[in-house]
Amino acid sequence: MRANIGKTNQIGLNSGLIALVLALAVLSLMVGPAGLSPRAALVALWDGEGVAGIIVRELRLPRTLLAGLIGATLGLSGAALQGLLRNPLAEPALFGAPQAAAAGASLVIAFGLAGATSLAVPFAGVAGALVSIGGLVAIAGRRASLTLTLLAGLALASFAGAATALVLNLAPNPFIALEIAFWLLGSLQDRSIEHVLLAAPFFALSWIVLAWHGRAYRALTLGEDAAASLGVDVDRTRLAVVVGVALGVGAAVAVAGAIGFVGLVAPHLVRRAVGYDPARVLLPGALTGAALLIAADIAVRFASGAVEIKLGVVTALIGVPFFIAMIFSERRMLEGAPS
Amino acid sequence: MSAPLLVARDVTVRLGGRPIVTAANLALGPGELVVLVGPNGAGKTTLMRALAGLLAADGDITLGDRPIAALAPRERAWAIAYLPQGHVFHWPMRADAIVALGRHPHADPLAAPSEQDRIAVAQALEATGATTLGPRLVSTLSGGERARIALARALATQAPILLADEPTAALDPRHQLVVMELLRATARSGGSVLAILHDLALAARFADRVIVMCDGALIVDAPPADALAPARLAETFGIEAVMVETGDGLVPLARRPI
Repeated sequence: MRANIGKTNQIGLNSGLIALVLALAVLSLMVGPAGLSPRAALVALWDGEGVAGIIVRELRLPRTLLAGLIGATLGLSGAALQGLLRNPLAEPALFGAPQAAAAGASLVIAFGLAGATSLAVPFAGVAGALVSIGGLVAIAGRRASLTLTLLAGLALASFAGAATALVLNLAPNPFIALEIAFWLLGSLQDRSIEHVLLAAPFFALSWIVLAWHGRAYRALTLGEDAAASLGVDVDRTRLAVVVGVALGVGAAVAVAGAIGFVGLVAPHLVRRAVGYDPARVLLPGALTGAALLIAADIAVRFASGAVEIKLGVVTALIGVPFFIAMIFSERRMLEGAPS
Repeated sequence: MSAPLLVARDVTVRLGGRPIVTAANLALGPGELVVLVGPNGAGKTTLMRALAGLLAADGDITLGDRPIAALAPRERAWAIAYLPQGHVFHWPMRADAIVALGRHPHADPLAAPSEQDRIAVAQALEATGATTLGPRLVSTLSGGERARIALARALATQAPILLADEPTAALDPRHQLVVMELLRATARSGGSVLAILHDLALAARFADRVIVMCDGALIVDAPPADALAPARLAETFGIEAVMVETGDGLVPLARRPI
């Protein structure tokens, strides 16, 4: 009976979040230099005629889709990584996964190995993220204490930063260096449907890999030994999370640059509502991530004057103070949990 | 006596190259409550983790007629429930949700919990006297309450073999007795229970057999009165002990370190 009530709440939460994401998506189609009414935006989306049709279909739809897909991927990645490491502070950006992905992706562009919308870019991004996430899980995986996770993250983020600096340093011309610098700031401006199609398969794969192991994250609440005794293949789960997060974050960075902290904030906002269940937090965490990033992208359009304020800058400006507040508010619980 | 369920033959476990358990032999049969005692660092937990199939070990560990290493993780989980020491819950979930994790090996990943799952969770909570703790968040529970929830989680798997690492640590005297009676009842209903204890009096009163471990080796495997005789305790634990008549058997009482 209690389980049924929990289930009803969960359905309510998820349908509410889906409604929120859809409402924000419509708003995102309306907002910009040329404002449209909700009706006009939806009509333009439907028939694609006239100036409004071009604005909505070719400018605003791709960035709205990307914001939703990337936000969901980052929210899900954060929730999965937190489940694996049993630590609410695990977040791809904290250990430089986006920076590492940017280093990988910028490497292939800087040296002319591929154009910006070639498949090689997300692959290079995924490879970069794989190094960073694999490094974290290898260092802090088995005994994921708060201190060890954060210190490993610091080291890996510094390393990713150094790798990106090296690419900048060796970049054959200043134009490429500038492109990389903007990339690191993260943005959804001027993205086309091509970008969406390029990244979408990676996102889908990442979602499947990460969501598949939901029950394993739940069993890991008891620690690795007890989870293994319940039949969880802990090593395989660890590998799946590394690969899944790398696929998602790498592809996100490849099309939109480094956007951080959505994976930290989104699961945290809904965790209490799902009873801290590391499996049930996955879906609402992803939906909240989508809502947050679409909202941030709308805010960027309102705030930008002559110079575009980059989306990654906004999420970091909101995310870092949030992260610090979380450290203080959860300090007792985190320090209470044995390493 | 029926055939032993879980058998270890000449088992050696190395951690980081160092042998922690050396040439251990033991058998755990149906209906038995066996208690493993030994000084700190004797290798008790390492041996138990190897028996649970969680550590690679040299030698043979068999479940029925099959080597434990050959079992699929899920098959192993159906047969052996393992309760680690420490009773750590990493997320402040509800206590009954924690106990329900014991149903993990039985669950269909895509289906809701079955009626059988619900009954198993309710029975495990009732057996550990923790039914009223069910709706509470585990972060709000005391150490002893957490220990009971952790044990209920292990019982909810309903595996025929239960390996419990210090199930009575952090418990008040009454709940120590409740847990020991529960372990004995689990054994009497056909299961096999191996428990690591530090309380020699509890071991003497409840165990069918006591295994004494010291420096990685199993020294004695005998009924409690023999295994816990003062001469042996002096040799393994370095304590001077006396046997006290309690009305239901002789129980060792540690008097002072030697």
